[in-house]
Amino acid sequence: MDKRRIGVYVCHCGGNISDYVDVEKVRQSVENDDNIVLAKTTMFACSDMNQKEMVEDIKNHNLDGVIVASCSPKLHLVTFRNVTQRADLNKYTYVHSNIREQASWAHSDNKEGATEKAIHLVKSAIAKARHVEPLEPSKIKAEKSVAVIGAGIAGLKAALSLSEKDTHVFLIEKEATVGGWVAKWKDLFMTDETGDALIKRLYEEVKRKQNITVFTNSEVFANTGSIGNITLKVKQKGELFDITVGSVLVATGFEPYKPKEDEFGFSTVPNVITLPEFKQLIDHEKDVLTYNGQKVKNVSFIYCVGSRQPEGENTYCSRYCCTATIHAANEARKKFKGIQNFHFTRGVRSYGKQELLYAESLQGGDIYFQSYEDDLPKVFVRNNKPVVRINDILTGGRELEVESDLVVLVTGMIPRSNNTISSLFKIPKGRDKFFSEIHMKLRPVETVIDGVTIAGACQGPKTIIESVNSALSAATKAYSNISKGVLETDPQIAKIETKDCTGCEDCIPACPFDAISMKQIDDKAIAIINASLCKGCGMCTPVCPTDAIDLIAHSNIEIMGMIDALA
Amino acid sequence: MNQIRKNISYDALVIGAGIAGGEAALNLANTGYKVLLIEKDDSVGGKMILLSKVFPTLDCAACITTPKVSEIGRHPNITIFTGSTVSSIKKISDNEFTATVHKKPRYVHVADCTACQKCEEVCPVSVNDQYQYNLVGRKAAYIPFSICDPKAAVIDIENCTLCGACERVCPTNCIDFTMEDEEFDLHVKTVVLATGFNLFDPLKIPRYGFGEYKNVLTSMQMERQIAPTRPFHTILRPTDGKVPDRIAYVLCTGSRDVSVGNPICSQICCMYSIKQAQLLMGALPMADVTIYYLNIRSFGKGFEEFYEQAKGMGVNFIKGKIGKITEKENGNLLLRYEDINEGKLKVAEHDMVVLSVGALPNPEAKTLFADDLKLDSFNFVDQPDLMASPAKTSIDGVFVAGTASAPMDIPDAILSAGSASSEAISYLMKQ
Repeated sequence: MDKRRIGVYVCHCGGNISDYVDVEKVRQSVENDDNIVLAKTTMFACSDMNQKEMVEDIKNHNLDGVIVASCSPKLHLVTFRNVTQRADLNKYTYVHSNIREQASWAHSDNKEGATEKAIHLVKSAIAKARHVEPLEPSKIKAEKSVAVIGAGIAGLKAALSLSEKDTHVFLIEKEATVGGWVAKWKDLFMTDETGDALIKRLYEEVKRKQNITVFTNSEVFANTGSIGNITLKVKQKGELFDITVGSVLVATGFEPYKPKEDEFGFSTVPNVITLPEFKQLIDHEKDVLTYNGQKVKNVSFIYCVGSRQPEGENTYCSRYCCTATIHAANEARKKFKGIQNFHFTRGVRSYGKQELLYAESLQGGDIYFQSYEDDLPKVFVRNNKPVVRINDILTGGRELEVESDLVVLVTGMIPRSNNTISSLFKIPKGRDKFFSEIHMKLRPVETVIDGVTIAGACQGPKTIIESVNSALSAATKAYSNISKGVLETDPQIAKIETKDCTGCEDCIPACPFDAISMKQIDDKAIAIINASLCKGCGMCTPVCPTDAIDLIAHSNIEIMGMIDALA
Repeated sequence: MNQIRKNISYDALVIGAGIAGGEAALNLANTGYKVLLIEKDDSVGGKMILLSKVFPTLDCAACITTPKVSEIGRHPNITIFTGSTVSSIKKISDNEFTATVHKKPRYVHVADCTACQKCEEVCPVSVNDQYQYNLVGRKAAYIPFSICDPKAAVIDIENCTLCGACERVCPTNCIDFTMEDEEFDLHVKTVVLATGFNLFDPLKIPRYGFGEYKNVLTSMQMERQIAPTRPFHTILRPTDGKVPDRIAYVLCTGSRDVSVGNPICSQICCMYSIKQAQLLMGALPMADVTIYYLNIRSFGKGFEEFYEQAKGMGVNFIKGKIGKITEKENGNLLLRYEDINEGKLKVAEHDMVVLSVGALPNPEAKTLFADDLKLDSFNFVDQPDLMASPAKTSIDGVFVAGTASAPMDIPDAILSAGSASSEAISYLMKQ
C-alpha cells in the first residue's frame, strides 16, 4: 500500500481550546510524525474560510486522510466529512479528534496537562487515520408516508402539513376522539377562538384530506425497520394490522400534574381543586360561580404546584401555567360578579406579549403575593373554609391570610407516564423525563433516532402556538428526509467474518436493535447482520468469543492503534 | 447613475439571514426549492453569530452558528445577497410576487479577496466598530468581524476619504471604487420574512446614565466582551481599563415599561443575563455579580435549572427596580433601588453596570411591501391565525419567521422558522 498522506488541523475554537491548550505545541508535536504531510492551526476550523482552505489543501497536497482536532464530533463530524467530500476524498477517511470537551474544557485548571492530553488524543486520531478505509453508503428506498402518533393540536397540525406536501399520513390516536387537551378547553389565551372550536376547525380540514388516515382508539405496540421503511404494528380495539411508513412523528403530549395527598391541602382540605378543574368549572357555570352548592367569592391560586420543585424530576418550570392561570382568573372575574382573585405566586412568568394579560389582571383588581423560595404558602381549614397563609415578599415579609371559597392549585405539565412509545422507538429522555432533542438550541425536533421526530409538549412544556410551530418544524424535517424517495444509510456497521463464526449465538441478545439473526450456510449456522437495522453501536463485538465480529470504521486494528498512541 | 436592472427569479425569497432566516432558507432548499436569501448587513449570521455562548447549554455561539452559516453559503439551492435590501414587494397573483432588490456596492470583489487585512492596516480612518458594539474602533476598509461570511473586506464609503491606500496595497487587486449600485427586478412565488428585532436604545432612559457614564454598558456590549472573538481578551471597564469586580445587571431595561412605550416582556433578557453572570463568574472568579430583577423568567427547557445553577455559583439576585444610577468620581456607579424583599430603599455601589436591554420590533418589515402588511399593536408582524398557523401573515403567501413576529429565544426562532418554511413549502406545492 502507498504511504498514507494525512493532514492535521488543530483548532483554537476562538479561545475555547487555545485558552487552555497550547495549540501550537500540539501542532509541532505531530508535524513530523509518520504520514503527516501537513499540520496547521486555525482560529475556527468550522468557518467557511478554513473549510475552503482545507479543500484546497486536500487537493494540492494529495491528502488521503484528514484530521481536525476541535470540538465534539456531535457538533462537527458531519461538517468536516462534507469538506473532504467536496475535495473529492471519500468522506469516511476523515477522522475527528475532540480536544475541547475532552481536553481544554475538562482540564481548564491544568494547562500543561490539557495540552499533553490533547497531543495524545491527536496522535491516537493519526493512528486511526493510518488504517481508515473509504466506504460507500448504501441507498435505500424511502416510503413517502409518515406515522403521526398522537392527535392533539401538534399531531393534527403535523398531519395537515405533511398531507399538504403530498405525503400520506397515518394519524394514530389512543383516545376515542382527536384533539387532546385543547379539545377539552374553552377559553384560550391570546385568541377569541375556543379550544374545542379550534380543534373542530382543524379536524374538519383533516377529514377533507384523502391522504390522511385517522386511527382512533389505536395504539402502536411494535416497531421494526429503520428510517425510510418502518413497519408499525397497530392495535385498534383488539384488531391488529401493520402500516409501513418512511418516518415517525411523535406528538404524544403531556399529562397534568396530579397533586399528592395533602399537597397544599389537596384532598384533605375542602374546596381545593386543580387548575384544569377550575377551567372546567368556569366554562360550565353560568352567571353565578358556585362550588359544592356554595357561592364562590374569594378564589386563591397557588402557583408552581408540581413545578420548580427543589428536588426530584419536576425541577423545571412548566412555562404555560402562569399565563393560563392569569387568563382563567381574568375570565372568571369578567364572567361572574363579585369574584376576587388572589394569586400566590413564586414570581409571575407571563413572558412576551402574554404580559398584557398580567397587566389586565392587575388593573382588574386581582391581588398578587409572592412567597419566599424556602417558605411556600400553607393551606388549612377555618370555619369550614380553606385558608391560605403566606409570608409575602411583596409586602416586605408580612404574614398574610386569605379566607377563600375556592383554592386552585396551579398544576404544571409532566411527561407521559406511559413509556410504550419511548421504549418502542428508543427515544432518549432528559433529566425532566420529557423526550430529548438532538440539540436544544438548533435541532429541537429531531432525535438521535434517524427518522423519528418529536413535536409539541412531549419534548417539554409548551403553549399552543409553540406546539404548533414545533409540529410544523417536525413535519418539515420528516418531509425533507423522505421526499426524495431515496435515503443513504451509514456504512459504519458491524460485519461478521463467516469463517470465524462458531454459531454460538452470544451476539444475538447483545444487540439492542435486533439486527443479528442466524442463517444456515451449507452445514453451519452462522450469525448475520441486517444492514438496515444495525446502528454500528459495537455491543456485539466484545461478546464474540472468537473475535469474528468487527466494526467497520472502528476495526480492531484501528482501535488498537489508538490505544497504543494514548498509552 | 448608470443603472442596469436585471431580471431574476426564484421559488422563495427569504428576507433576513439571521438564524431564523437561515433555517427557513435551508428547509426550503433541502426540499428542492431555489431560494434567494437577502441580508442588509455585509455578513450573514444575524445577531446570533455575535453572541458569546448560548443558554442553557453554554455552547459557544460562534461554534454552532458558523457551520449553519457555512451550510447556507454552500447550498446549491441558495443564493445569498449581502449588503442588499428589498422593496416594493407586491403580490401579482397566487404564487407570484414581484419586488425590487437593491444591492449596494461593497467596493471589493468578494471572490478575489483573501481577507489578508492589508487594507485594514493602511487605512487611515478610524470609526466605531459596530460589530463590537462601539467598544473599539475599526477602519473604513475592514473585515466586518473574524467569523463573518462572506469573509471579505468591505469599504465603508460613508467614512472613506478616497485616499486610495487600500487599493494600492491590495495584493489581489480586489478593491474597486468603480463598483455601482445594482438593482434587480425579482419574481418569486413565496416570501419568508425573517427581519429580526432591534435592541432597545437605553439612551431613552436618561436616569440610567447610558452614554453619559462610560461604565454603564448594554448587555450586547458585555456579550462581545465575553465572546471568543472578544475585543480585549479580558473584561475591562471603559473609563480606566480596570478589570471590574462588582458588576450589576439591570433587568427589564426597556421591557415591561409603559413609560418607554414597550409594555411587553422581551422573553430573553433574564436568561442571557444569567448566562453572562455565569460566564463572568468563570472569567473573573473574584468578581461579585448582582442581578436586579422584577421577576426571573426562566421558563424554557433547562432554564429553571440554569437559574438555580447561577444561584449556586454565587450570583446575587435582588428583587428590585433600579430607580436611578449616578456616577462617582472614580467611575464607580451608585444604584438607587427598592429592595422589595426587605421593603426598603437602598443604594448599592458597583464598578460596572450592564443594562439588560429588551427586544423591540423591527419596523422595517412593513416598509418592504407595496401591499399592506399588517402589524400588531406593538409593531411586530401580525399573525392573523395565531393558534393554528402562527407563521401566516395578513398577505397570503407571505410567512413570518423568528423575532419579526414577537420576542423569542433561539430554539423558538428555529421552531418558528420551521413553521414558516413548512407553510411556504405547502404554499409552493399548492400551485
